[in-house]
Amino acid sequence: MPYLSRIRINPLRAESRRYLESPRAVHGAVTGGLPGSASDERPLWRMDSDDPHRPHLIVLTRSRPDWSHIVERAGWPDAEGQHALVRDYAPLLGLIAPGREFCFRLTANPVQNSPSPVSPTAAQRKRIAAEQDPARRRGFRMAHRTAAEQLRWFLQRTERWGFAVPASRTDPPAAGLSAECAPASDALSRTATRSSPDRTDPTPREVRITARHRRTFAKNGRGPRVVINSVTYEGRLQVTDAEALTHHLLNGIGPAKAYGCGLLTLAPIKGGAPG
Amino acid sequence: MSPAASDVPDRAGPGDRAVLVLRLAAPLQSWGAQGAFNVRDTRPEPTKSGVTGLLAAALGLPRGAPLDELLALRMGVRADVPGTLLRDYHAVSDFRGHPLPQAGVSAKGVQKPTAPAKYTHVTSRYYLQDALFVAALEGPPELLNRLVAALRAPHFFLALGRRSCPPTQPLVLGIENGDLESVLRGLPWQASERAKNSYARKLGRRRGLDGPFRPATVPCSVTLEHADGDDVLQDVPLTFDPHDRAFLGRRVRQEWLRVHTGFSDPDAATEIEADQDIHDPFELLGR
Repeated sequence: MPYLSRIRINPLRAESRRYLESPRAVHGAVTGGLPGSASDERPLWRMDSDDPHRPHLIVLTRSRPDWSHIVERAGWPDAEGQHALVRDYAPLLGLIAPGREFCFRLTANPVQNSPSPVSPTAAQRKRIAAEQDPARRRGFRMAHRTAAEQLRWFLQRTERWGFAVPASRTDPPAAGLSAECAPASDALSRTATRSSPDRTDPTPREVRITARHRRTFAKNGRGPRVVINSVTYEGRLQVTDAEALTHHLLNGIGPAKAYGCGLLTLAPIKGGAPG
Repeated sequence: MSPAASDVPDRAGPGDRAVLVLRLAAPLQSWGAQGAFNVRDTRPEPTKSGVTGLLAAALGLPRGAPLDELLALRMGVRADVPGTLLRDYHAVSDFRGHPLPQAGVSAKGVQKPTAPAKYTHVTSRYYLQDALFVAALEGPPELLNRLVAALRAPHFFLALGRRSCPPTQPLVLGIENGDLESVLRGLPWQASERAKNSYARKLGRRRGLDGPFRPATVPCSVTLEHADGDDVLQDVPLTFDPHDRAFLGRRVRQEWLRVHTGFSDPDAATEIEADQDIHDPFELLGR
């Protein structure tokens, strides 16, 4: 039975700074909160810092976790309020049905694999040179680094993940407005084209990138550094395939799941009818 | 046994339901739902028992009269100005000159007097100050017409939740056609000019502007009676008989509506998405 947890992180404490700096440290702390052996399950987590002074760690686990060690070392152990909120995740899974709409947030690691990078790094050059048979060479995993490519990476895959991102609800411009700002609207349509999954489809979608980070950290403080480009997407989604979406809610999306990527969370669409 | 208000069927056809709109405003209001003994609380918005009591007083129903007809009205409340909470501190003395009894009893089973002698109770009463609500009641038109006549010439004194809270005028905004939601959505913001300007000034300050910011719409919280609502409120009175108080629950749905402010020259940018809540994945997980 899955559980969703939220833990308050006190950014002034030494351990929290370690967490905020290195996804590896958080991964250790998260797996340490599970009583079963580490190979049993792969917890998903994400550091939400809407308020940088009050970050929250969101974790999805299969078994019921205990976060007292994180609260003790990186929270406010003697403060009032709920240190760690742990809730059964099943009610949400019961809500997943085709046609339903939700707000979502996802921190993911958009990557592409290519056997022939345009400008290979020294390590890649070395591996390319060492390979005997270029046809059998394994591709290199490389991060998407521009916002447009990161957005397209996301939109190209939503169907496989079991949902669709609806077209954005923008009103047509008022009469006489489009002619005046022709250059601006041209620029707008260019960005829209770049942000849609299909290069020929100019429809803007209900999704935006709210945060982009390049994190580097060393394993055990030595050896080559791990580099991860994490991108936070927010928007609206419509369920198309309940089974696929349930699978990806529980198992995560994309690579670097141990390092704070891949946890897709849903929230209700705010009822305040706009306008 | 009166029916639970949530059992009221939805409107059957266009002509047989109408909506009575009341404006509940006063310097002080108090809508108690759970208060007992020395702490008398207030809910943040009018209760069904409070509004039913107001209507029953206008009609001149005696304390023990059956309330079925009034409870069948479906109620929705919009908080135009939520107001602020006032705690009224009272020290009530016992006029008989004896000290108050303590919890312990003597060998004869009689409560002992407090030692040192204590003569006063402390009671706290809570009020909403400067609040303004729009209460809408959906029901058959002939009953609503009768209620309007009664509210214009009430039989008993009218009060907003407590006898010390008389309403300001106008109390009745009229009878509208349509359903509860659309009436509450369509009615413009009822706040006074002063409250509107104060809101605009605060908004301007929050946005870092030099002057006031006058939005075209303003968010108002709404509580609607709904058969499959998420929340249950225990405020449907079976009777107002003081010796036989009993309440039923009703299901309600809480929502936010964007209501037109009525500023003559609203600023072009609206106050919509700027203050939207952050993403909370726990909202879908129930309580």
